[in-house]
Amino acid sequence: MLRLLATIRKEWQLLVRDKMGLTLLFVMPVVLITVMALIQDAPFKDYQDVKFDILTVDNDHGRLGKYIREGLASGGQFNIIDTLDGHPVTEQQARELVNNGHYKISIIVPAGSTAAIVSNANRIVNDITQRMGMSVSLPVKKGADSLNVVIYFDPAAKKAFKGAIHQALDNFLTQVETDMLLGRIQQQLRRKDTTATPNDTLPIRLQAVGLKEHATGTSKQLDVVSNSVQHNVPAWSIFAMFFIVIPIAGNMIREREDGSLLRMKLIPGSYLLILAGKMLFFVGICLLQFYLMMLVGIYAMPLLDLPKLVMGHDQGATLLVAGAIGLAATAYGILIGTLFKTPNQALNFGAISIVILSAIGGIWIPLEVMPANMQVIGHLSPLSWGLDAINDIYLRNGDIGYVWKNVLRLVLTGGVMLAVAGFVEKRRMN
Amino acid sequence: MASIAVKELRKTYKGAAEATLKGLTFAFPEGKIGGLLGPNGAGKTTTISILCGLVQADGGDVMIHSLPQNAAHREQIKKIIGIVPQQIALYPQLSAVENLTYFGNLYGLKGKALYEKIMHYLEVFGLEKSAHKEIHKYSGGMKRRANIIAAILHEPDLLILDEPTAGVDVQSRSMILQFLRSYNEQGASILYTSHLLEEAQSLCDEVAIMDEGRMILQGQPESLIDELPECRNLEDVFLHYTGHALRD
Repeated sequence: MLRLLATIRKEWQLLVRDKMGLTLLFVMPVVLITVMALIQDAPFKDYQDVKFDILTVDNDHGRLGKYIREGLASGGQFNIIDTLDGHPVTEQQARELVNNGHYKISIIVPAGSTAAIVSNANRIVNDITQRMGMSVSLPVKKGADSLNVVIYFDPAAKKAFKGAIHQALDNFLTQVETDMLLGRIQQQLRRKDTTATPNDTLPIRLQAVGLKEHATGTSKQLDVVSNSVQHNVPAWSIFAMFFIVIPIAGNMIREREDGSLLRMKLIPGSYLLILAGKMLFFVGICLLQFYLMMLVGIYAMPLLDLPKLVMGHDQGATLLVAGAIGLAATAYGILIGTLFKTPNQALNFGAISIVILSAIGGIWIPLEVMPANMQVIGHLSPLSWGLDAINDIYLRNGDIGYVWKNVLRLVLTGGVMLAVAGFVEKRRMN
Repeated sequence: MASIAVKELRKTYKGAAEATLKGLTFAFPEGKIGGLLGPNGAGKTTTISILCGLVQADGGDVMIHSLPQNAAHREQIKKIIGIVPQQIALYPQLSAVENLTYFGNLYGLKGKALYEKIMHYLEVFGLEKSAHKEIHKYSGGMKRRANIIAAILHEPDLLILDEPTAGVDVQSRSMILQFLRSYNEQGASILYTSHLLEEAQSLCDEVAIMDEGRMILQGQPESLIDELPECRNLEDVFLHYTGHALRD
């Protein structure tokens, strides 16, 4: 026990005197998560909080244009702009402004589009009443042209964004057409029903089955969406935790070079206890890093106008996951410190390998948006196991039952790395 | 009784074309200062590593204070020996007291008793004023002296020193050699390796000269010199047996 505690104290003394190491372990990650959360805030907000300006040119001045404007505005995601400098926006203006990137989207409602919808509804009602033996003839425009609501998109607009707008407009068109058709049918039915008063409305329900979104958490409900802070704070914290391989590997190589490793091995008692002390210390540092980043996510991010980090409900599971990540990172540092002969080799390999593992592991961008084959490779990265487990807790309100598989993967990987390091070290001595 | 007895020791590293040790045999009596001498590549470091139990020999026997160096006795032997490596095996960012407290703790020493022991040795080696100074601020000689203290905190019966005076000034060397004599007078055995043959001649009770993994000769320095009329000192004897060819 004494050698374990002595090793922890020695590592602490070494760390507090290593200003560069402290900066690398604590200051740089704080800067990193803050910068990444700020940079990625806008892309994450694209489909969530950001309000887009939509130029609308209503050449129809009828019900369809009104419906589209009100419908888009009611979602809260779009600002409807139909005048510029006090003058109605023209189609030419709208096209140019969108093309040169000042606006992302413009909608042109053609003249006569409401009339076309009314005419179409009248034609259907005429046809129905005629088949029912009623003599009703609502005015129908003969030889009506097919009209289109025209949409201009910023050439840089994403495909998913375009699809969402298309779908929303399609819904509005269907809704207007359906409303008009039902209005005409109600009108004719009322005319047939002589007992009905003008205020009577027929109970026509358009939606028998609706849509309602529920959180997937098993117990308490969480109202968390994946935003820049929810992704970047845990993701880059895991990245920073893995960067502990640099001081660990450097420390191990220096101990081997200056002979203190030799001295430790010549002291009676198990060297494993010294190694365990070293591991415990660095896992503790990883935990400290992790919770420091979480505090930044909770308290500092809102000061920068970013969302506050939400940590889920099972803090025990979070601690377990953070500990498992720290263990895997520390073991990786020990492996690199054993495999390489000079601090420079270890530094280069360690840093580059972590950048690669983090890139494929969904730290930079979520795995879900990567190509399918990259997703398969990405799931082999220990950093992705850590991030998956954290997301299970933070976004899916998971508990230990959700994360144990990833925790086990991290711990086993750490164990394998330590075993390889032990094998290499023993082989080197002989 | 021998403090160290080595018989027919053989070692070939994996992938090496030639054996490092080819049946090395020597012994030093207990309570004496023995010098293990040889040119670069003679196999001294491998021999010391095997003596300490860090490297496994392919064959032969090693006895340390009558205990066979094997897995069963390794921990017992570790308690008997103290090793001063050629490198300064201390943490440069820590002070002498912090370094020595750490290594003392690893030996199971702690508290006031350890602190007093550390301060005593720091005084013996003239380092008491720099006790709390970080090692990287020490001169070469100060580092060498602190390096020796780390190996004697547990008061070993056998002290093994690998080039303990390499690169130090005359005053530091004199202090180190004086301490080794006094530590030996207290009953401890010392195994010493060096390229400084004049120093070995004055310090060692017996020397063993090895080359290319084999023992060439062993005996008291003065006797070895006397055996060869053309040799005036140990260096002449050494060159007589190992030749003038460079060993890079």
